[in-house]
Amino acid sequence: MSLLHATWLPATAAGPTATNGRIAAGLLLWADTWRVATPVTPSVDAVPEHPLSLNQDDLGAWLEELDLWSEDSRPAEATLTLPSRRQASRGRKSADSDGAIWSGLPLQAGEPLPKQVEWWPWRVEGWLLKPAAAAQWLNQLPLAGAHSDLADELRWWSHLERWSLSLLARGRWLPEARHGRGRWQPLLNREDDRRRLEDLASRLPQVIDAGERGTSLSCRRPGSQRLLVARLLEALLDGQLRAGFSPNCPGLDPLLGAWQKALGPGDGRLELDGEDAERLDTATHHWREAVAGRVEPAHACLELFTPPEGEELWELRFSLQAEADPSMKLAAATVWAAGDNPLALGEVTLDQPGALLLEGLGRALQVFEPISRGLDAAAPEAMQLTPAEAFVLVRTAAARLRDVGVGVVLPASLSGGLASRLGLAIQAELPTTSRGFTLGESLSWSWELMIGGVTLNLRDLERLSAKRSPLVHHKGAWIELRPGDLKNAKKFCALDPGFKLDEALRITGNEGETLYRLPVHQFNPGPRLQAVLEQYHQQKAPDPLPAPEGFAGQLRPYQERGLGWLAFLHRFDQGACLADDMGLGKTIQLLAFLQHLKAEGELKRPVLLVAPTSVLTNWKREAAGFTPELQVREHYGPRRPANEEALKKALGGIDLLLTSYGLLQRDSELLECIDWQGVVIDEAQAIKNPSAKQSQATRDLGRPGKQGRFRIALTGTPVENRVSELWALMDFLNPKVLGDEAFFRQRYRLPIERYGDMSSLRDLKGRVGPFILRRLKTDKSIISDLPEKVELSEWVGLSPEQKQLYNKTVEDSLDTIARSPLGQKHGQVLALLTKLKQICNHPALALKEQGVDAGFAARSAKVQRLEEILEEVIEAGDRALLFTQFAEWGHLLKAHLERRWRQEVPFLYGNTSKNERQAMVDRFQDDPRGPQLFLLSLKAGGVGLNLTRASHVFHIDRWWNPAVENQATDRAYRIGQTNRVLVHKFITSGSVEERIDRMIREKSRMAEDIIGSGEDWLGGLEMAQLRDLVALED
Amino acid sequence: MTITTSLGDQGLGQQPWWVAQWMELINSYRYKKRLERAWTYAREGNVLSIRFEGRRVHARVQGSEIEPYKVKLWLDVLSDEDWGYVLEALGQKARWSAQLLAGIMPEDIERAFAASGRRLFPFKLQEVRSECSCPDKANPCKHASAVYYLMGDRFSEDPFVLFQLRGRTRSQLLADLAMQRRELLQQRAQALRASQGADTSAATATAAQPSPIAISDPARWWRYDAPLDPALVVITPAMEGESGLEEAGPLPLAEDGRFPEANQHFLAHLKAEGTRLAQAAMAMAMAAGRSMGEDSAAHGSAANGTTEPAAATGSGSGAAPASKAQPGRR
Repeated sequence: MSLLHATWLPATAAGPTATNGRIAAGLLLWADTWRVATPVTPSVDAVPEHPLSLNQDDLGAWLEELDLWSEDSRPAEATLTLPSRRQASRGRKSADSDGAIWSGLPLQAGEPLPKQVEWWPWRVEGWLLKPAAAAQWLNQLPLAGAHSDLADELRWWSHLERWSLSLLARGRWLPEARHGRGRWQPLLNREDDRRRLEDLASRLPQVIDAGERGTSLSCRRPGSQRLLVARLLEALLDGQLRAGFSPNCPGLDPLLGAWQKALGPGDGRLELDGEDAERLDTATHHWREAVAGRVEPAHACLELFTPPEGEELWELRFSLQAEADPSMKLAAATVWAAGDNPLALGEVTLDQPGALLLEGLGRALQVFEPISRGLDAAAPEAMQLTPAEAFVLVRTAAARLRDVGVGVVLPASLSGGLASRLGLAIQAELPTTSRGFTLGESLSWSWELMIGGVTLNLRDLERLSAKRSPLVHHKGAWIELRPGDLKNAKKFCALDPGFKLDEALRITGNEGETLYRLPVHQFNPGPRLQAVLEQYHQQKAPDPLPAPEGFAGQLRPYQERGLGWLAFLHRFDQGACLADDMGLGKTIQLLAFLQHLKAEGELKRPVLLVAPTSVLTNWKREAAGFTPELQVREHYGPRRPANEEALKKALGGIDLLLTSYGLLQRDSELLECIDWQGVVIDEAQAIKNPSAKQSQATRDLGRPGKQGRFRIALTGTPVENRVSELWALMDFLNPKVLGDEAFFRQRYRLPIERYGDMSSLRDLKGRVGPFILRRLKTDKSIISDLPEKVELSEWVGLSPEQKQLYNKTVEDSLDTIARSPLGQKHGQVLALLTKLKQICNHPALALKEQGVDAGFAARSAKVQRLEEILEEVIEAGDRALLFTQFAEWGHLLKAHLERRWRQEVPFLYGNTSKNERQAMVDRFQDDPRGPQLFLLSLKAGGVGLNLTRASHVFHIDRWWNPAVENQATDRAYRIGQTNRVLVHKFITSGSVEERIDRMIREKSRMAEDIIGSGEDWLGGLEMAQLRDLVALED
Repeated sequence: MTITTSLGDQGLGQQPWWVAQWMELINSYRYKKRLERAWTYAREGNVLSIRFEGRRVHARVQGSEIEPYKVKLWLDVLSDEDWGYVLEALGQKARWSAQLLAGIMPEDIERAFAASGRRLFPFKLQEVRSECSCPDKANPCKHASAVYYLMGDRFSEDPFVLFQLRGRTRSQLLADLAMQRRELLQQRAQALRASQGADTSAATATAAQPSPIAISDPARWWRYDAPLDPALVVITPAMEGESGLEEAGPLPLAEDGRFPEANQHFLAHLKAEGTRLAQAAMAMAMAAGRSMGEDSAAHGSAANGTTEPAAATGSGSGAAPASKAQPGRR
């Protein structure tokens, strides 16, 4: 797959032949792709072509496919300096290449870095957008989220462009005349804009600055990133203002007229003689200088210190503060001592520290006059302020100083944030008799008022307010009193409210929460409350609960914690979403939880479990295996109870009723008649769409009936990252937590999805966090006891079509075989087994159909289940190997999967040529954006290959010999594998596949025979044995 | 009669003090009639050009003849010795350097010049020397006087022109000041060392310009994983008085008398255009950030959630926009 890049090409001076001056700057769009390339040796006089880049035509076509083509694009070429890998070209000795001519390849984004990275110039073709068109183009890019076609730096660009929109909206620009051209200049002196510049500069993906137009063989050396970002921003802003500005103001003198024209569309050239141009240059420079200074790595800073005990005057110290890190400062004394020498401040070097500090102080005294008194000395380091002056500084001047680009550091208690406002300090604990398991329960608590980190009571506040001074000294700290403080405090004291557990949970869930409108600055829970809060907010691992009596199996330690967590939320009557990674045993934990209820005598009414049809079989199997005491029934198929009476009767003595989402919706009225003790939804992403009927039916069913009803959701997808899906899930689990859907959309979904708003996301996560437990199999600190290779049996059923075809095939064939002579019997048995295995895969395979259509998945339960699991694999960015013994199946499945996920799925089988084979393997292993799925035939792909990039192995159909399967598994599970490998073995329940699986597992004599002698024994089977082997069980 | 320049129309209060001082100087001239004529000359655009060339002002003024008259204008230049005194005085107060660096002409700058017994501003009009190619015997003639008027406006374009006329450009002056500051600080440091007897050669460590981080960590060449600045999620307009234009105030450009209030017209036009473009930017920001089809996919299946989920997702994506060719496959 290709990846789209965007690199800035600076303007170049005109060559001797160019007639219209220099070539303007612009954004070069180019792309690299994965292909087999031989290492390149640059010739002495030409920059080598980037062997992995797309040419102009292909790029253009691709941009059109992506809907990102701009009519303003112009063809362009550039030399990019890129990190490259030295690699001996073919036929040359790779050893001791010192002194030998360099050869190698450019690295691609995401490619693993070699030990030694070198920089080489490479030539690429692409399409150039001039600044205005570039801005327009960037505006359509996503602002958040990874996109498989777009390189990371495109998101950087889209953030830069969004900043330019913000500057435009706020009018933070001035027109200028500079070097004979009219320009629009951004003003970056405001504190938040300076921080943005710093952020974007420090995170700049260097590829943005890797390009130039020249063809020299020398590499481009990156300069100051801060200046670069300022320049790029200026280009975008200038481009947009220039394109939009109408230079049609009448009545201007020639000077202004020429300037106006130069600010409009065009190349900005001023039609003025040198003298006038210079005049305009000086005047506009002076004009701008009064508002904003230059972009520098540091700025002047004023630090306010409270008076020593018993004294009146406040001290204000001068220093330089690094833009990159406000905590890095250089005291004025150091700056003066440096004289004309450069000074190091963290990672940057200040060339003229003294001038920088003085200029900042000059600006400071424009907005805060008292400073002028402090600058009477030749080398001032600090000055003193009267209390009144200090107050002005704290209250108003600090903000204005920051706006003109001067840093201000105030004492912590006065720093202006929320903490400096009137708020509460709370101490609370569970009452001694409580176990802390009901939300409405009152806590024993006490509170104090708090301002600027100092506690005070109402009487203190009254006394301090009486001083009529805005800055007061209390308990050793200076705090700021605001006009309404006393009134608000009195109001709260008069209220004297109670304090409940759910309020404690809320306050500790998010920062900045308030209680009766007062912010809670401090919250000190007692040890028992603390324990409940920590568990609730998942600040510590949940307390484990051992496997309950009657549970036939062992829980791993993390599963015991999962069980403990389910039980914990259950006691609060809170819905829980267990979102553990695939393969960690969500089914087992849920079954253990039900058994736990049963063992405690708490399971009195039936529990409804809703799952996709494709996993119902699996549930039945697992329940029978792990919790034999649980009475399980399926509500499925044409013979299911059709009315309330029948259903109630069928539920007699039943603990767990399994049904599918489809039936839940179809039989919703019927199912709502039952007073379920709980509702569990598996593969909970099925209800992600809030307005879909099955999602609504599920949510309705989660509402409590006459008695309480617990809600549990199981999913393997990272639900907390799928904002759009969270609402429906939470509405099922704990309605009200996220408000109604419209509110949710405005408050969370739009800001997060469209703009990647982190503060909304944090808030959202804080709210839903307590109800979601997700552990990853890669997290070795939590899942320390899981083996490196985990085998999972994926039990699947048969679709009606499969079932019918299967039964018919068995009946027809058995008759034929019974009547056949012995010599042909063997072959016929083999043919039967093959056909049945094919049916288990898909009817289309058995019927030798050629193409796949939209209804393909619906015809096979196995394909449906496979899709569900692959969905999670792809979502997680993992890679998978899929093995099958049928080449025809590989072709069908390849077509289907490619259609389903719109990505290439290579298929390696017997007819694949040696070269193709190597290319597929290389691509899968090395291409940073290579395919995520790789189909292989068991025979051709089972040996010799190294495919350690995969962390999932699927055995879609079973082979008699486990050693063959294991060998195939070892393509991924071998030296070089850094992840856990999940091995999924599909078993069609009740079919020949299950019989094979059982034989392999039980190491039966029959299986020994099979392994020992291939399939020869099959011919010798008695008819009864054969029937047992192939007949479909229910 | 009081004569004011075009800048004066906005009221004296808004004039930079150095312009006011210059006008005061001119208006102290005794020959009012000649002044009045000069003012008309200036206003009607007869002054074709004013050029600062080193320490002299060269102007061309259209008189009664076809060929414009050439006017030269200059002040007494301060000697190096005088400048030495001035610099020493300027170095005494950090504020003077601070203001000059920030582009502000300190109001009490004359106090520094007083140290040398000289002035920055001419005290009397006689101190302003002029030469005109016109036949008029009077000095200053009306041509030179017309240039005087416009000089006031030119000072507001760049107040440091005055330094230039006295023999130092602003950058020379700042360089000299930096040099002098260093000497002063060195002396202080020596004095300190002498009094303490200790070594105080402290933190003057310098570092070579470090390479960008992408060089030391080549993975950074491509990587960017920061979220959008939360404050840029919603793009908001400027608060009253917060736009750059409002902060910068009037244009410090001398006006051509033939185009009255051109500066204000132009600023008003800029402001109107700025408001229009700000609104366009906000509309653009509202529409930006479409998530490349993901959003539509999430909505797309809203209608058909009726069948089994696996089938629903399967058909949902199968039916997804087929108008676009499938990417990345050849």
